[in-house]
Amino acid sequence: MSINLCADQLVLALADRSQISGLTHNATDPEMSGEAAKARGLPLLSNSAEQILAIEPDLIVGMPASRSAALTALPQRTYPLLDLATANTLDEIYTSIRQTAVAVGHPERGAALIARMQAELAGLPKPGKGRVAAYYQRRGYMTGTGTLIDELMTRVGLVNLAGKLGKPPLSQLSLEEMVAAEPDYLIVESATDTVTDQGSEMLHHPALKDIPRISVPQAWTVCGSPAYTEAARSMAAQITRIEGRIS
Amino acid sequence: MSRFALPRWSLVAALSLLTLAAAVGSLLYGAVDLSVARLVDAAMGNEDKVASIILFDLRLPRTILALAVGAMLGLAGAALQGYLRNPLAEPSVLGTSNAAALGGVAAIYFGLAEIHPIILPLLATGGALLSLALLFILSGKAESPLTLILAGIAVGTLAVAGTSLALNLSPNPFAAMEIMTWLLGSLENRSFDHVWIALPCIAIGMAMLLWNGRALDALTLGEDAAQALGTDLRRTRLRLLIGTAIGVGGAVAVTGAIGFVGLIVPHLIRPLTDRSPSAILLPSAIGGAALLTLADLGVRIIPTTNELKLGVVTAFLGVPVFLVHLMRERRLW
Repeated sequence: MSINLCADQLVLALADRSQISGLTHNATDPEMSGEAAKARGLPLLSNSAEQILAIEPDLIVGMPASRSAALTALPQRTYPLLDLATANTLDEIYTSIRQTAVAVGHPERGAALIARMQAELAGLPKPGKGRVAAYYQRRGYMTGTGTLIDELMTRVGLVNLAGKLGKPPLSQLSLEEMVAAEPDYLIVESATDTVTDQGSEMLHHPALKDIPRISVPQAWTVCGSPAYTEAARSMAAQITRIEGRIS
Repeated sequence: MSRFALPRWSLVAALSLLTLAAAVGSLLYGAVDLSVARLVDAAMGNEDKVASIILFDLRLPRTILALAVGAMLGLAGAALQGYLRNPLAEPSVLGTSNAAALGGVAAIYFGLAEIHPIILPLLATGGALLSLALLFILSGKAESPLTLILAGIAVGTLAVAGTSLALNLSPNPFAAMEIMTWLLGSLENRSFDHVWIALPCIAIGMAMLLWNGRALDALTLGEDAAQALGTDLRRTRLRLLIGTAIGVGGAVAVTGAIGFVGLIVPHLIRPLTDRSPSAILLPSAIGGAALLTLADLGVRIIPTTNELKLGVVTAFLGVPVFLVHLMRERRLW
């Protein structure tokens, strides 16, 4: 069983369906998880100690599993745990895939998945050509360097505005500052494409209307997961399309 | 007559100057340091894309909203205090602002606002109107100022609880942040779309409230005397109710519930006038515009990592006024 949304996706990608005894309650949400379709029909848990007791799992996968509040409530039970590290680079994603594949008893699936991802990424163009992009989130949060987003930008040839401005991994940038920084692209979560509240409304402010947008589903980027390649492919394709329109 | 009473025109002129200064400050100051020369250049229409976007798309709508919303809240406070003959009456104390916020929240978070832009101010106004109606039913004909304030607290608390519940029920994972914005108010990141929602409502609301000056003066003699003087009380009340609801509803729909402006301003203005309710209506509107614009400037100047909410600043300004009042009342006992 998995007790973390990111671990959910790895377990779904690598384990047999019959092996999975529980996922987190967000596992079936297509906006949060890149493997949501596969999760449908599997038992979803709400991270309570009682549910873990009832399942008696052979393996608990978390990020890290040993620090889970539900498990600390069960000090006498010793379940086999797999502690995955939060992946901030592609190599760390590969490591997580390998670890999970071994833990669920299918190391060959892990190797195959990594080979597939490497092949796909190798064929990807770098259309960004050093242009500056900002990953701008609701309420003006901007994603910085040392993150998966930053690595994705580099992969498609973009430069992260946060790095240029020397901002930390997560910083808040007001609309005024964003306008003054004049990035070539804004990268936004596709969930904020429509205005649903005040947080997403600010991303639709007329002051930003002239900056081209790349929209990526959060499900592909929030976790270090196999969906990394889809995010990279989609970003490259969107840049190529926008560049084609401009020139 | 107060000792400090100024001629009406000079009070209005002085307040207007203050408001103008606040508005200019609000246009000049922001997160990005732009020189005055560059801003003037942009205003003249020169090719400076960054400065002109910052000036016209970001700072200008924000300033206009601060002025309009402040004026509406100040005027609503003055009119309600005059009509109810209660120095504590104002939209946020009486729960009107929070009820309007509830209407706005319902419109946005359940997707109704996407159907047509008018639904947002409509529901906010509806919320405000409902709360005022409820308030008058609850407090009834009771003469005691206490009854009205207690009824206001009940209505306001109900609306706040309703707002939180609505946000918790909505399918929005960021509800907690949003609740804060709605309950404390903010002018951050407003655009001209918001100006076009709020401005018509505020214009209608202010016109209906300014109309009541004479009736409010007559009311200081008591309801019977006012009626004897030819005041149509029913009409006055209706205008006051609807005007407050439309104006405050439109304002809250785009800024959230900003507290205390309507409370502070009439108290600051009153000693400078002859204290008749009609004399403080217009000055309160202008003073409210100045106060809210200055408070919004303060929000931007005070260095915080997360932008301060406007309601926090106005509450800090409002509480001392409450205290002064409390002490004066105690002395009278």
